[in-house]
Amino acid sequence: MTQRRAAVVHLLIAGVLAGSLYDIVTSQEHWPFSDYPMFATVHRKHVLDNWYRVFGITSSGQEVAIVAYPELWPLDQSRLPLGIRRLAQEPGNEARVRAALTDILRRYEERRRAGLHNGPAFERLKLYKLGWDLEPNAANLDHPRSRVLVAEIGQASEARQ
Amino acid sequence: MIGRLAVQWRTFWFAPAPITNLAIARILFFLGLTLFYLPHDFSGWGDVSPALYQPIWLFDFLGLPILSLQALNVVQAVWKLSLACACIGLYTRTSMMVAAILGTYLLGLGHNFGQTYHFDAILVIAFWILAFSRAGDGWSVDAARRAARDPGSRPVETSGEYRWPIQLVLVAMSLVFFAAGTAKLRASGVQWFTTDHLAILLDRVQYHISDAEPWFTWGSTVARIPYAANLMAFATIFFETAYPLALFSRRLRPVMVMGGIGLILGIRALMGPTFENFLLINLFWVPWDRVEGWVRSAATARSPVAPAARSEHLTEIR
Repeated sequence: MTQRRAAVVHLLIAGVLAGSLYDIVTSQEHWPFSDYPMFATVHRKHVLDNWYRVFGITSSGQEVAIVAYPELWPLDQSRLPLGIRRLAQEPGNEARVRAALTDILRRYEERRRAGLHNGPAFERLKLYKLGWDLEPNAANLDHPRSRVLVAEIGQASEARQ
Repeated sequence: MIGRLAVQWRTFWFAPAPITNLAIARILFFLGLTLFYLPHDFSGWGDVSPALYQPIWLFDFLGLPILSLQALNVVQAVWKLSLACACIGLYTRTSMMVAAILGTYLLGLGHNFGQTYHFDAILVIAFWILAFSRAGDGWSVDAARRAARDPGSRPVETSGEYRWPIQLVLVAMSLVFFAAGTAKLRASGVQWFTTDHLAILLDRVQYHISDAEPWFTWGSTVARIPYAANLMAFATIFFETAYPLALFSRRLRPVMVMGGIGLILGIRALMGPTFENFLLINLFWVPWDRVEGWVRSAATARSPVAPAARSEHLTEIR
């Protein structure tokens, strides 16, 4: 190994060690380095609160939760609620939340018409903040303890504009 | 003292090793990634509203744009091709560098939209380590072409060049587990396994909050078996925090590595997060040169020559 080659390899080793250890020590995240904090904070109550979920509204007025990956693609049932909650909880972001919901409805309908999922047609979307008292196997999934409307957007035709 | 540390440092990273371990890990790692990502479509990120864009530091720092749907289709096709080429060892260095550059971009894309997941970060680090390695020196189309051009060339010798990439991937992986374990201890201490925390988590994931559904719906049942969740939580903390021991202890290595694999599978099975591709990193733990030796021995034993040799031997004994 030449000196130059050894220097490059040592720089790489130092970079990987430094990046990993820095994030561990400072509890920060600099992807692809991370302090891997998932599930680290203890939950003490048997509840799930402050969970944002998007519901589609059919022409008959039925509200259906959108959680299946093919219906949310490329988003998913974890990434979307966490991202949109962060937006919604910052003041002055109402228009941004509505734009995000409009985009979700547009893509949902385009993919439904293309046969990429089997969900029902939706005319509107509603974003709710939900809370549950935990039950085994989520037996009360459709009957949350609390349900607060955060935002609502209209027709799919509007969404395409 | 410093001299001894320097020797240990050199031995750990650069003790001469055969190409077999690195090359077979390269083949299987990129084969697994090729198969895993072949059906995966990244182009959708080019179609998501900027309203949901919340850039991670890497994209922000480098000013990386979110490409259009059409451009992403081209980028992902090139990336998947580079994974396949890295697997067979065709233009290996270039393929691995392309895999690293485009892989960092493609795998990083989704993290700009709402949440940073952790199942692909170690893959990106491994891409960059391999991109700077000489993993294509053997067991590759490149090596075969070199040998065909120069039939008199000597086979690849052992070298520190074939050790440090494996060691660095394994150190990075050990730090991932160690980080996860210490994050739990720092945030919650022993309460992470002495309270109902994991039982509550097993119930929470039934409400469709993970990026994918758990493989099994037994989570709530497990949560109600006395102390089962506490035991699982303790095992989680133990294996995560102590995982780096696998780097230094040959006796503990199989236990820690199997424990780590068990954690990943357990999380996927009962909680949902999709860590399957993360498992591919374990290929770097395997001493492929010894596996090769076993396979060759087994093949020799089964070859037609072997029984004859054995009968000769028996004749001599008689």
